[in-house]
Amino acid sequence: MEHMGIEPGRLQFSWVSSAESTKFVQVVTEVTQAIKELGPNKTLVKSIPEVA
Amino acid sequence: MCIACGACAEKCPKKVVDPYNAGIVKRKSAYVEYPQAVPLKYCIDGDSCIYIQKGKCGACKKICPTDAVDFDQQPQTETLQVGSVVLAPGFAPFDPSKFDNYQYSKLPNVMTSLEFERILSASGPTMGHVTRQSKDKAEPKKIAWFQCVGSRDMNKCDHSYCSSVCCMYAIKEAVIAKEHVGDDLDCAVFFMDIRTPGKDFERFYDNAREKHGIRFIRSRVHSVDPVLGTDDLEIRYVTENGEMVSENFDLIVLSIGMETSPEVIELAKKLTIDLTEGNFCQTSSFEPVATSRKGIYVCGAFQGPKDIPQSVVDSSAAASAAGEILSSARNTLIKSKEVVPEVNVVNERPRIGVFVCHCGINIAGVVDVPAVAEYAGTLPYVEFATDNLYSCSQDTQDTMAKIIAEKGLNRVVVAACTPKTHEPLFQETLINAGLNKYLFEMANIRNQDSWVHKNNPELATKKAKDLIRMAVHKVALMAPLKEAELEINQAAMVVGGGISGMAAARSLARQGYQTHIIEKDTQLGGQARKIFRTASGDSVPQKLAGLIDEIQKNKNIHIHLETEIRQVEGFVGNFETTLAVNGNEDILNHGVAVMATGGAPYQPEEYHYGKDPRILTSLELDQKFIQDDAALKDINTAVFIQCVGSREPQRPYCSRVCCTHSVDNALELKKLNPDMDVFVLYRELRTYGEREVLYKQAREAGVIFIRFSLENKPEVVSEGDKLFVRVIDHVIGRPVEIETDLISLATAIIPNNANDLATFFKVPINEDGFFVERHAKLGPVEFATDGVFLCGMAHYPKPIDESIAQGQAAASRAVALLARETIFTSGTIAETDPALCSECGVCVSVCPYSAPSFTEEGPFAGRAQINPVLCKGCGLCVASCRSGAIHLKGFDNDQIFAQIFALSKAV
Amino acid sequence: MTDWEPKIVAFLCNWCSYGAADLAGVGRMEYPSNIRVVRIPCTGRMDPKFFMAALREGADGVWVSG
Repeated sequence: MEHMGIEPGRLQFSWVSSAESTKFVQVVTEVTQAIKELGPNKTLVKSIPEVA
Repeated sequence: MCIACGACAEKCPKKVVDPYNAGIVKRKSAYVEYPQAVPLKYCIDGDSCIYIQKGKCGACKKICPTDAVDFDQQPQTETLQVGSVVLAPGFAPFDPSKFDNYQYSKLPNVMTSLEFERILSASGPTMGHVTRQSKDKAEPKKIAWFQCVGSRDMNKCDHSYCSSVCCMYAIKEAVIAKEHVGDDLDCAVFFMDIRTPGKDFERFYDNAREKHGIRFIRSRVHSVDPVLGTDDLEIRYVTENGEMVSENFDLIVLSIGMETSPEVIELAKKLTIDLTEGNFCQTSSFEPVATSRKGIYVCGAFQGPKDIPQSVVDSSAAASAAGEILSSARNTLIKSKEVVPEVNVVNERPRIGVFVCHCGINIAGVVDVPAVAEYAGTLPYVEFATDNLYSCSQDTQDTMAKIIAEKGLNRVVVAACTPKTHEPLFQETLINAGLNKYLFEMANIRNQDSWVHKNNPELATKKAKDLIRMAVHKVALMAPLKEAELEINQAAMVVGGGISGMAAARSLARQGYQTHIIEKDTQLGGQARKIFRTASGDSVPQKLAGLIDEIQKNKNIHIHLETEIRQVEGFVGNFETTLAVNGNEDILNHGVAVMATGGAPYQPEEYHYGKDPRILTSLELDQKFIQDDAALKDINTAVFIQCVGSREPQRPYCSRVCCTHSVDNALELKKLNPDMDVFVLYRELRTYGEREVLYKQAREAGVIFIRFSLENKPEVVSEGDKLFVRVIDHVIGRPVEIETDLISLATAIIPNNANDLATFFKVPINEDGFFVERHAKLGPVEFATDGVFLCGMAHYPKPIDESIAQGQAAASRAVALLARETIFTSGTIAETDPALCSECGVCVSVCPYSAPSFTEEGPFAGRAQINPVLCKGCGLCVASCRSGAIHLKGFDNDQIFAQIFALSKAV
Repeated sequence: MTDWEPKIVAFLCNWCSYGAADLAGVGRMEYPSNIRVVRIPCTGRMDPKFFMAALREGADGVWVSG
């Protein structure tokens, strides 16, 4: 992943069964927090020409 | 009318104990039984509702946005004309309040296993966090389980039977508790015999003991006392060495058994059906789901204490039995639906209609719905966007169909609750408007938006817009998909002519289907030909003869003896099997197949078997009973040795039937000669369910039971013409030597080799050689591969009653498929582009449903193709294809990319 | 930067996490609103191309859940 230019942590995986709503909420919160801490993604974003 | 918004429950001022959560928490008087309930509809508990009881309140009626609350509903009596009845009233959990020595009603940290289940549940009152029920709500460090509370106990509860399920669930609870709390949690199970005779259960028990470190203590706990000044509990029990020990625990779980409720006993009286001594429904081994009254069938725990897989088997069997007597009436009450011709939209520019749902206040209370609808109107290709109060109501559905036609829409997006529950409904609307149902996409703005971001209306509105934009971009790329229709060959093939195979064939034939039994032997009957009688006392030779006679006389059944299967081509609905008889090959076309290949007894090498004619296997002793061998009466001593080849390192499973079989044979010997000394040497005595009655009778008849361990197995010694068995007696702890005239070895059951069949039908076999069913609990008689079913000992060792029930169940599942006559493939399936295929075969090997295969002839011979009938649309092959040659219709790359790209166009 | 909120694309399996997400709604639980869900038939459908595309398109994170 890092080789491809993806920072560790940008990509998150988890397993939640369809009955585990509590776990789902917990994971969403954790994932959001983890990515928030990484800050905005700059490495891969295609450069969009600034339009004046 | 209820839209499950939950406003009634929120407003309701009355709190009552929540029986679903085993009384651990409270719920309102207006409630939904549990969040996964289908249909998700709220109701009012009339026994506690203030309005119904006192005529005041009505808060729920005032708040309900759809006017769905009606206090005037009255119980109604309806009369139904039916041809058969199936009883599935279930069981009642045993109430341990009457056991004063365990002080269940006084001590908060003594709870029942069902209460503990709720504590462990992620959706339960503690969200899976294991806590005590005392005021400290502390996480326990030591938990004890007490087995047989309300089972195998005549003194306190008058239940002589074993409840069958408690050993396994207690082990499961202990393992899960350790997972939740951590490995430091000390779990101890106090038991009499650990009974884990189900498929893969023994391994679970072994792992619990050896890997998870759960302690198993063979003792009935005498009493529980509170530890002064704490909420901890002190228990006293006698160890196997006879020492009185006291130990403290933080929590005690009572493994409560099953009983038939007084209401069900009353029902049985009304229906005039017979009950057993234990108040379960009276059935017989050869008709395991038939009650004593013709036309009334039974399944589940009312038939006898049992676990989920066995209940599921029973229920399919009961459905089959109920259907057998009604088969002449099949399809006489059906109505056919009017079909609206489908509009061709191919090559048309997308004209998308977006319908945004308020869902009363459920969405509109949080999300600015009109603004979202207005925004949707600005998106590319959107011709029409509007908002509805309730999109799912019948009048809105009609309006939507009208708008689709009027505006000439060819794609539809509904932004509302969730596709999991409502996609089929809106797809139906499209069909009624003449649109292909796959030209549709839902945006989940309720369950995954308004309901979870209610304190953040602004962000929720923004999210709703994003989700709709994603859906619009995706739906623009959706193409109409066809659901191919396939005819199902109406013949069935049953592989194996033993008890379960014959039971399956008989059910299929009675329901009017041509059925072929393929048997490699020269006669029908399988292992049952060697069995003397069943646990319920039926003579097997007599009943078996009756069954074979019926099979032979049934015109729908075609028996192929001395026949082997050489090859199988095709798939569900269209199998083509090559049969080999006396060197000649024959083709059989059939729509479904049932694997009933059975098992055989293990031929022992241990315990001097084969070296002395007095050492027999259980089935050889049965043979002597069948032949009425006069010499048996003159025997002075007989010894039964259990677990011969079972529960050993090389064969770790329990063979399920042998304990009951030996106990019954021991009783038969005692009947022939009451003065005979009969010993049963066992490791755990597993007479599960009402078979426990036989164990009790055997003890009362003077049969002596001696337990041994795997490390200290009995020894068989012959000196001159004398035969001895040496074993360490578990009561006195000393070796004893028994001079005996007969040794009966309870040999393991080994599945017959079915590797070829497994390859032919692409179905799996486990490490013990048994077939692997679709789902251990919920799909016990079918395979993951469609159209192929299983029953009998090819699935796992089992007694005759369970084999017959499983045979009937397999037939039931097969008939459910056959009766449809045609099957429709799903539209959202994978398809290969043979021009791009590199023939690597990854798709063929990764597919769990055996859908991809190599094309055999034509210009693309060797390239992969996907059978649309078998494909479940999971997309595994699509992602694994290195050549990009597989497309998943409805979830293709473009469509997923469109959703991703739609995101960057932020609002 | 305190006001900055990440944009996260969530690929959820229809049978597992998507169901859990629905159930979280039924339970009226609350969680951050940063995720945008793409429903996939099964995590087996997941292709590295998808998360690469999402990151290229400006997502700050990708979450795949079965």
